[in-house]
Amino acid sequence: MEYQEIINSSILALRVNKVRTALTMLGIIIGISSVILIASVGQSVVAFITNELSSFGSNYFQVAPGADMFSSIAGGSGRPLTVKDSDAIRDSGIDNIESVAPISFTSRLVASSEKEKNYLIYGLTQEGQDMLKPELLYGDLMTESDSISRVAILGKDVAAGLFGEEVDPVGESIRIDGIRFRVIGVTKSESKLAGSFLNSSVVIPLQVLNDQITGSDELWEIDISVNNILYLNQTMDDVTHFLRDRRGLADGEENDFNLISLKDSLDTIQTITNLLTLLIAGISSVSLVVGGVGVMNIMLVSVAERTKEVGLLKSIGAKDKDILVQFLIESVVMTLIGGLVGILFGIAGAFAISILAGIPFSLSLEWILLALIVSSLVGIVFGLYPARHAAKLSPIEALRYE
Amino acid sequence: MTTITSLIELQNVSKAYSLGDGTMYQSLYGITLKINEGEFVAIVGPSGSGKSTTMHILGAIDLPSTGRYLFKGRDISQYSSDELAEIRNKEIGFVFQSFNLLPRTTVYKNVERPMLYGGVPAQEREKRVYEALSLVDLTDKAQNLSNQLSGGQIQRVAVARAIIMNPRLILADEPTGNLDTKTSSEIMSLFKKLHQKQGSTVIVITHEPDIAHLAERVIKIVDGKIVSDASLVN
Repeated sequence: MEYQEIINSSILALRVNKVRTALTMLGIIIGISSVILIASVGQSVVAFITNELSSFGSNYFQVAPGADMFSSIAGGSGRPLTVKDSDAIRDSGIDNIESVAPISFTSRLVASSEKEKNYLIYGLTQEGQDMLKPELLYGDLMTESDSISRVAILGKDVAAGLFGEEVDPVGESIRIDGIRFRVIGVTKSESKLAGSFLNSSVVIPLQVLNDQITGSDELWEIDISVNNILYLNQTMDDVTHFLRDRRGLADGEENDFNLISLKDSLDTIQTITNLLTLLIAGISSVSLVVGGVGVMNIMLVSVAERTKEVGLLKSIGAKDKDILVQFLIESVVMTLIGGLVGILFGIAGAFAISILAGIPFSLSLEWILLALIVSSLVGIVFGLYPARHAAKLSPIEALRYE
Repeated sequence: MTTITSLIELQNVSKAYSLGDGTMYQSLYGITLKINEGEFVAIVGPSGSGKSTTMHILGAIDLPSTGRYLFKGRDISQYSSDELAEIRNKEIGFVFQSFNLLPRTTVYKNVERPMLYGGVPAQEREKRVYEALSLVDLTDKAQNLSNQLSGGQIQRVAVARAIIMNPRLILADEPTGNLDTKTSSEIMSLFKKLHQKQGSTVIVITHEPDIAHLAERVIKIVDGKIVSDASLVN
């Protein structure tokens, strides 16, 4: 028996009962579309965040005070990291360290001749500025000779807030905590995640911030870039040992600082997304099983309705295998069409979400392929029993069936 | 001494059915008959006499409970379902009283179907479908769906399909049972034509005496036994 003929007659049989076929497909459609939707959105989110983070370069890690990321955000309980720590790391001779950028951070009242407002103030060294690679809108970045000058680089929202939109404030003065600074540049960031943060910050030399504004050499964090990203983890271990020694931590005592790399953050996001996708895939598989049972049920009805037809086919020479294949193809065609419709719905949903959330749209080809395989498998698994039932009918019983 | 092998031979064939409620119903009691190649036979009898059971056994869609069925000298009583399907496909052409054609399917596809199971190559299939349809004078209906045909046309399509594999035996079970007198005689003359021109062996089951008299030999079955077997001179 030729497969083209069987597939044609299967589609014909499904078209006769359009509503029934569509309802039967519903479970498959829901299951497949939700998996495709979540997988695509998850992939979009990961791609988006990866892209955002790697615009800062992924060859560095951060050292922050406190035992974990959360305590450092909360203000760093316990011993701070200082400029001396940062200098010591720079001088430690640890292999693979490219540069060490101590970063300090505070919030202060900033005033122009017309307006004043609280803004975030970053204290950066030359190395920190090199690592952040800010994009200039007006003026220049800091140079080596500016490290103890009272110069400031404004984020574009700060510039707009203090001097007005579309105004070049380079050469003007601002006051931070009443101390005069000369504006030497304005930067803008296109980053969706960090943009609003960077654009509403003021950058001044670290030493100036520490000596003249905060009066402390405590650091917010130390960013360390490496020459070879392959040995990033090794370098992080080296720095951890170095700092433990330096801070006199005994064996078994917990770190009072924490290290985090961009790669760690990416891995975390990837792990969360994968877990979420697996969770949804698990939930959807319930829908697929329910859909599959629906398919089995309808195929049994279909076999019963066409019992006489099976008898007729057997009387003109159809073997058991021919009947089996015919009904199996019918159920696979049904679940495969359901799968295709589900994939289209899933893609459409993911596309809509990407537009609403303003993230790039990306398609997960692996999941689409998997969805096609799974929907065919559902058709085979749940179609097998009805198809075998039809194939095993004795010709005379089938012909006599009323 | 030469033995002439009959096309079909039933040797003391009995058939009993389980009625599902535990009781058995005996349909045939020790039927023995021989039919040779090229014969035109009518099997007659009242309803419930066992003539349809006889036809189903002859057509290899049912198996005897006891006794032997020799088809071309081979006992097919113990054949597997695939072997029986092969015989039905290549050696036997069926025409039923009703439900002959696949619903939702064109005349062409209906007639072609046995060749799909028989592995006839595509180029040859088309040629043979049109030959068979021209024999029953229905070439112009090839693309009609089966539900767009009259009762007489449906039976002619069934005849075309029955002969498509050039079987040794054509089995017709009450082929005119649902037809008016005029159409009935058209269908019967079609069987007669097949018998005379192509030398086909034709067995027609009927309870209509007029139809039976078109055959050359009439076998009468009553209560599961053969009560008469007579050759007629037309």
